[in-house]
Amino acid sequence: MIECTHVFKKYKNGVNALYDINLKVDQGEFVYIIGPTGSGKSTLIKLLDGEEIPTKGTVNVVGINVGKLRHSKVPIYRRNIGVVFQDFRLLPSKTVFENISYALEVINMRKDLIRRRTREVMNLVGLDEKGSSFPRELSGGQQQRAAIARAIANRPKVLIADEPTGNLDPGMSDEVMALLEKINREYGTTILMVTHDLTMVNKHRKRTIVLEHGHIVADLAEGGYVRHDQ
Amino acid sequence: MISRIFRPFKEGFRGVFRHGAMSLSAATAVTITLFIISIFMLFTMNVRQFTQGIEQSVPISVQIDYDHESAEQEGAIELAISEIPGVAEIKYYSKAEEFQYFLDAFTDERTRAAMEPFENDNPMHDSYYVEVSDGTQLESIANQISQIPGVFKVNFGGASATNLISMLRTIRFGGGILALALSILAIFLIQNTIKLTILARADEIAIMRNVGATNGFIRSPFLIEGILIGALGAVLPVAGTYYGYRYLYNFTDGYIISQMFTLLHPVPFVKYVCLALLGIGMLVGLIGSFFSVTRYLRWRR
Repeated sequence: MIECTHVFKKYKNGVNALYDINLKVDQGEFVYIIGPTGSGKSTLIKLLDGEEIPTKGTVNVVGINVGKLRHSKVPIYRRNIGVVFQDFRLLPSKTVFENISYALEVINMRKDLIRRRTREVMNLVGLDEKGSSFPRELSGGQQQRAAIARAIANRPKVLIADEPTGNLDPGMSDEVMALLEKINREYGTTILMVTHDLTMVNKHRKRTIVLEHGHIVADLAEGGYVRHDQ
Repeated sequence: MISRIFRPFKEGFRGVFRHGAMSLSAATAVTITLFIISIFMLFTMNVRQFTQGIEQSVPISVQIDYDHESAEQEGAIELAISEIPGVAEIKYYSKAEEFQYFLDAFTDERTRAAMEPFENDNPMHDSYYVEVSDGTQLESIANQISQIPGVFKVNFGGASATNLISMLRTIRFGGGILALALSILAIFLIQNTIKLTILARADEIAIMRNVGATNGFIRSPFLIEGILIGALGAVLPVAGTYYGYRYLYNFTDGYIISQMFTLLHPVPFVKYVCLALLGIGMLVGLIGSFFSVTRYLRWRR
């Protein structure tokens, strides 16, 4: 499903972000990627969603060589993956309903199907009542749930979540976590979750990949507590 | 399928209203520049009208020899003149008419009485007055006419007439260049404003790509939005031009200073100017947003 082979990333400003990353994630897995600030987590996400191109090596997601995509083809590739960002990235001038249905309009889905599916995912994330609200009228947790709803609306095979609980209080975080687990369980969606919330990682144990200074320093199939310098 | 065609329009309209303040500022830039363009258009078109009017009213007078005054001979001369390229109009005046015209120039009775005996021994010539379509050809046409057998004398005002015409050309050309330069300047101004309004939405464009929208899908509503803003900005200049020019025309009775500077009649002239303004507004809005969106589509991968 996701396969990185000997991936290096060096930015134009000379910063080396990733060294020789080898990673394989199978269909239906739920994987944490943890590590301190500057360990290369965000770069890994950017390589996976096509925003950055690896300096060396190949990034393969759902059978597509992401680094070789042309600029105009990147959005089409992204229809296969859902991405949830820490800063939500909702369209400020669209309502919650429009934000979610936008992801379905772009794949030319029929209008009645869009409406039905949008209501379905709004129900799934518990935002039934907020369809006509604009993002600025929602709390952080609600915005994050709207972003998750948008990411899963077109039933992607892979869901990448970049610090989805980073801006939320513990209660909210548990809610979002429960939601992601539900998506993973019910739809069989492969989930890659970047976090540095260790309490969360210990509470909901899953395969955990540890990044430090651009290297994978641990890949724990059972998950659990990991000691690292913050 | 149909909703897919209408989507950019719906989204474009919505975009204008949801970003009301930005739409308004961009539309204001359009309004100001269109007002300037409007004034220049009215000015240069009218100057064009004046100068062409003056140019065409410089005629060549052709006097016929006394021994070529038969109707047949004069007909041949008229035909020969009309065959010269660039001749717009030919008017015939008999020597009697010419004499009358000459006589009418004197107002005091004594001079008139002194002149009248000449009516029976008329020293005037039968004449043609030739108007040309292009003032710069005045001299060469005059020369060609003088070659025609039976032509006694050709008169066209000489160097002063050609100088006047070349001066009028310069005014017209200069006015045209100025209007063109101003329009280009206006387009840059508008494009910059639109670029700024879209810059505020560069994030939005990146998010759209994030959720799988292709470049064309993102671009089309922005283009409609640009056209709408252009049209919106054209409302005041169009209204101002339409009513303003009519008012000016009525106020001045259709001419400035003398009959030589006749203003173009508002119908249909002012309608064309208004259509042109609306067209320029919409086109500039379209071009401006096209370039701006394309730029921000490339901002992030």
